[in-house]
Amino acid sequence: MNRREALFSLGSMAAAGGLASSAKAAELHGVPAQTALSADNMPTPARRGGAFQVLTDDTDRATVKAVFDRLIPSDELGPSASEAGCLEFLDDQLAGDYGSGKALYLEGPLRPENEEAIMGSPQFLSTPRERYNTGLKALEAYAQKTDGAAFSALSPDRIDAILTDLEAGKLDLGKDVNGQAFFELMLQNVREGYLADPMYGGNKDMAGWKMIGFPGARYDYRPYVDRHDQDLSLTPVSIIPSN
Amino acid sequence: MAKWIKIAGGVVVLAAIGAGGWAYSALNTSRSSVADDSVTLAKFTSSDAEAIKRGEYVMRMGDCAACHTREDGDFAGGYEIATPFGTLVSSNITPDTDTGIGNMTEKDFFNAVRQGIGSHGMLYPAMPYTAYAKFTDQDMHDLWAYMSTVKPVKHDVDENGGMSFPFNIRLAMAGWDMLFFKNEGFTPDSSQSEAWNRGKYIVDGGGHCSACHSPRNFLSAEKESAYLQGGSLGDWYAPDLTSNPHVGLGNTSAEDIASYLTTGSDGVAVAAGPMAEAVEHSLQYLTTDDAMAVATYLKSIPASATKPGTAPKMSDSETARLADVYEVNCSACHGLNGEGISGMVPAFAGNHGLLGDDATNLVHAMLKGARAAHTHTAQTAAGMPSFAWKMDDKDIAEILTYVRNSWGNSAAPVSADQVGAMRAALDARDQIKVAD
Repeated sequence: MNRREALFSLGSMAAAGGLASSAKAAELHGVPAQTALSADNMPTPARRGGAFQVLTDDTDRATVKAVFDRLIPSDELGPSASEAGCLEFLDDQLAGDYGSGKALYLEGPLRPENEEAIMGSPQFLSTPRERYNTGLKALEAYAQKTDGAAFSALSPDRIDAILTDLEAGKLDLGKDVNGQAFFELMLQNVREGYLADPMYGGNKDMAGWKMIGFPGARYDYRPYVDRHDQDLSLTPVSIIPSN
Repeated sequence: MAKWIKIAGGVVVLAAIGAGGWAYSALNTSRSSVADDSVTLAKFTSSDAEAIKRGEYVMRMGDCAACHTREDGDFAGGYEIATPFGTLVSSNITPDTDTGIGNMTEKDFFNAVRQGIGSHGMLYPAMPYTAYAKFTDQDMHDLWAYMSTVKPVKHDVDENGGMSFPFNIRLAMAGWDMLFFKNEGFTPDSSQSEAWNRGKYIVDGGGHCSACHSPRNFLSAEKESAYLQGGSLGDWYAPDLTSNPHVGLGNTSAEDIASYLTTGSDGVAVAAGPMAEAVEHSLQYLTTDDAMAVATYLKSIPASATKPGTAPKMSDSETARLADVYEVNCSACHGLNGEGISGMVPAFAGNHGLLGDDATNLVHAMLKGARAAHTHTAQTAAGMPSFAWKMDDKDIAEILTYVRNSWGNSAAPVSADQVGAMRAALDARDQIKVAD
């Protein structure tokens, strides 16, 4: 059976299944007594303690730290990305379903000119975990080649220059790495790590939320909707409150 | 050792029967002689539409379906009831001759419902015959007429196979009856109003309120000295129904009590757990007059001696911290001032049923969530979500202590140990653990 036939047979199975299940639909009376969330709906916290799981290579880790801390440096507004736990956040995400691309379609064929035109963004057959692995190695190799030093040992200005070129698509990291897309991936992940709920490993002490004035996982803002242009002095709240 | 004592105790109970218990009035069935003893339920179908309708009302009042109707069919039994002495299973009371009560005559039926003397031997007092004893002959005749219209269902039930020795011996219940069962009907009190008498008849009879709302002794008999002063069901707590102003109905009007019975809420409290079931299956069917009669009678019960619990001392900073926890987690539904949403979400301010020393209901709702009663007049059946995944034992104890001591409330603190014990008992999940 080729792919086309498989798709067609899936369609007819779904149609048949739909008919059968509507004929047997259970009639519900009243309301379910249970209100507890099912395990599927629970948030999955970052793994507790232990060593890095994906960013195990010291050089890789130093490289991504150097990038993250230029994207969100430590200053009077708040801690740096790495100080706020963004490396731990990233490592935990890469070790799980996000890193393995569980939600992505990763089978071929891939003709980038077609898919990218349709989707409006670069498309990959590799997982985020693989893209970090190849991307960080390529960045380190680039630094060694052009500057004769480790990427993490470069000056902040030099790193900024490299990242600026990378973002503009002016820096070639080799045929295996789309440099511009890799820059965007790192920028997206560092933002997530800095601003996601602390239960996911980043945003330590809710530093990201304090910086932007986000009051956290509060259920209801009705007491505040009419209070315009005031400092509400709301303490941010994590999803899991005691931590 | 402990088991040995239990067995010895059982033998004593059995010996008590041997010592002439048979003659005791508890087992005297002369009250049933008003009923027919020739036609079995399987062979009888009432044609008296009025009697059938009245009988259905008696069935609702007695809430027979609460225990006798589960997934095996209407009145086919199969509901498991955990007792301190083992598991009981409710019987099949359909007119099926093999597995139900089809071979019972009306007299047998009277004996079973009002005296706990069943076709397989003595009934266990999980069946509230202790309360149904109050049923009038007329109500029993009507109930019999209604039962004759029930469809027979073949469903075999081993009612007491899960009971431990000696409690698996039905005859032992004769001893229990001798000690605790009052074999007498309802006697009206002529010094009281008609409504009061009707209310007492429902409360003590079909409604069997004291089955849950009175505490029980070590042999599961209700303590008369603490009549309707609140009873523990293990997972839930049936609150004080006396006029106690702190933990009972002292501050609730008769009209509000009647509204609670028929809709599931009096505007402050909302029925959940087993009380929601009682409202859904039974109490919402009460006529307005009967609901008011129940309220009239309950309001006449003298206040229990229970004093308000001793409020814990909380520092201002602790109170402020918990006020924020309350605002974040609870206020969206229960209101910033604990006012709830009338008829849908319970208030905390002035909700006296939640202020007794036993905070089981609050802890249960926090750990497992709860569902408001779903009635003909109040259909929302709002849900309380579980907070087990979000809060640890200490968090839950603190916020419950806070709501029990805010907005004019005063009650004993809830302990983290109590929450932990219930978390285990209810098999509620642990809080999600987050890295430090």
